[in-house]
Amino acid sequence: MPAPTQSPLERRYARLGLLLIAPTVLIFCAVIVYPLVSALYLSLFKVFTPTLESSWVGLSNYKALLADGVFWSALVNTLIWTAGTLTLQIVLGIGMALVLHQNIWFRSLARSLILFPYFISTVVAVLVWKWVFNDLYGILNHLLMQAGLINMPIDYLGSMPNAMISVILVGAWKYFPFVVIAVLARLQTIPEPLYEAARIDGAGPIARFFDVTLPQLRDVLVVIIMLRAIWDFKEFDLIWLLTGGGPSSSTETLPIVVYRQAFALNQMGMAAAWAVSMMAILLVFMIVYIRRTREKGAS
Amino acid sequence: MRKFLGPVVLNLFAWTTILAVAFPLFWMLVTSVKPQSELFRRPPTMLPESWTFEHYWHLLTQTNFLVYFRNSVMLSTVTTLLVVAVATLGAYSLVRFRYRGREGLAFLVLFTYLLPSVVLIIPLYLMLVSLGLSNTLFSLVIAYTTFALPYALWLMRSFMAGVPDDLEYAAMVDGATRMGAFVDVILPQLLPGIISTALFTFILSWNEYLYALVLVNSDEARPLTTGVMNMLISSFNIEWSLLMAASVMMSVPLIIVFAFLQSYLTRGFGAGAVKG
Repeated sequence: MPAPTQSPLERRYARLGLLLIAPTVLIFCAVIVYPLVSALYLSLFKVFTPTLESSWVGLSNYKALLADGVFWSALVNTLIWTAGTLTLQIVLGIGMALVLHQNIWFRSLARSLILFPYFISTVVAVLVWKWVFNDLYGILNHLLMQAGLINMPIDYLGSMPNAMISVILVGAWKYFPFVVIAVLARLQTIPEPLYEAARIDGAGPIARFFDVTLPQLRDVLVVIIMLRAIWDFKEFDLIWLLTGGGPSSSTETLPIVVYRQAFALNQMGMAAAWAVSMMAILLVFMIVYIRRTREKGAS
Repeated sequence: MRKFLGPVVLNLFAWTTILAVAFPLFWMLVTSVKPQSELFRRPPTMLPESWTFEHYWHLLTQTNFLVYFRNSVMLSTVTTLLVVAVATLGAYSLVRFRYRGREGLAFLVLFTYLLPSVVLIIPLYLMLVSLGLSNTLFSLVIAYTTFALPYALWLMRSFMAGVPDDLEYAAMVDGATRMGAFVDVILPQLLPGIISTALFTFILSWNEYLYALVLVNSDEARPLTTGVMNMLISSFNIEWSLLMAASVMMSVPLIIVFAFLQSYLTRGFGAGAVKG
């Protein structure tokens, strides 16, 4: 605890500290805090986007939303997408990190190639995958047919459950490098004697993975899973650009509904209510993550 | 024999998976240099039989691509300069000074770092329209700070925490003022962190799509993401080679970063995203 009386120098430093943070605070208030509060406020109104005419409706936006089957189906879609793509990202990410941890040929080139999908624009990723998925001239259908795995070209994005599976796969492809890099960094810090001890005890490679590597990765994996769960839950670009929520809203997740309500159906108030409800669900994850980060920071 | 075979099998397996992951990007490059006549041939050719750069030429001379590219460069550069300058001062304050509300502020930074854009976009849209700023690059700079500033602050905070206190105190014992010590001692130490943060912020802004979709509706102010996507939607029959050429061109800054500055990217990963 700081002493109740501060020296003049300490007071001057505190003032300097406040001066340095002032631009941040001003920008935060203008572009984050104010919009956040007005999103809450807006969700109590009925707003028609083109004219911005609004009228107070209280909580009835929320009532309508919870009674609407679309909310629950969008929530289920969001959860399927998040769980599916997150699982793949983690499994592929750990696997690839283990491979890259080995002494393979051209290791740094391999790392660059793996890292690339994570940093390219979602627009680029979607364009490329749409071309790969193309039902007539796409390379994927051609390769699968040549290998004798399928007889007919598959419609990857226009039918269910293909569309959801495709979106999940592209999401895994785009975001698994994040897991690779994070896990790889941790792998490099696991002390070698742990493995030697396990080897002396007669543990094979698989036993070593489950008894040494996985427990050592636990902490970092918890953080990765929480962060990626939050980011996947709120993903808009990838799904919107690949399927637009289709076919017939079967890949429509919560962020897509928010966008549609606000800018296609022109119901800003309702859209704000959707956004706030979505944020309320996300808040659970966010609080868990933030608490964990602060505990770690304190210890 | 086994000693020799083990690494070979491992390498074969590793490189098959790595090439499978990289295949879509390889296919993008190949498609962008194939002549139109070869594009729809069955079976498709894995490497182009004849190379052509006509799609790139077409892209640069007959579409709005260069306008979008210029917009993206300006937008990302201005956002990065603004955000990195503010975040460097802010992080210095958050890490090295004691005052009331500091903890709350750090919490707010982390909270907004995780906040979904779709929550902010509706009020931001209304705000920017009422200020008469919609359809300008400036409106996008404002919107981009909503995600770039918390991100940059969070990264800078952990880079700043890695600079030892002693250096600063030593400079002040030698008679430097606090800000003098910051400029002469901390900034040079912080430079790798600043470069790393700037790269991440630039890439984040370069790739942004949703705000650009909502806030800008005219070709003069459109950045690459929405501009190129528009070329897909508005064309009657989709010219895949042209779109792949656009995708390659759009990734050029990234390829440059990858070739020369990759270590800064991995450093940023360790600092901000995972260590927390």
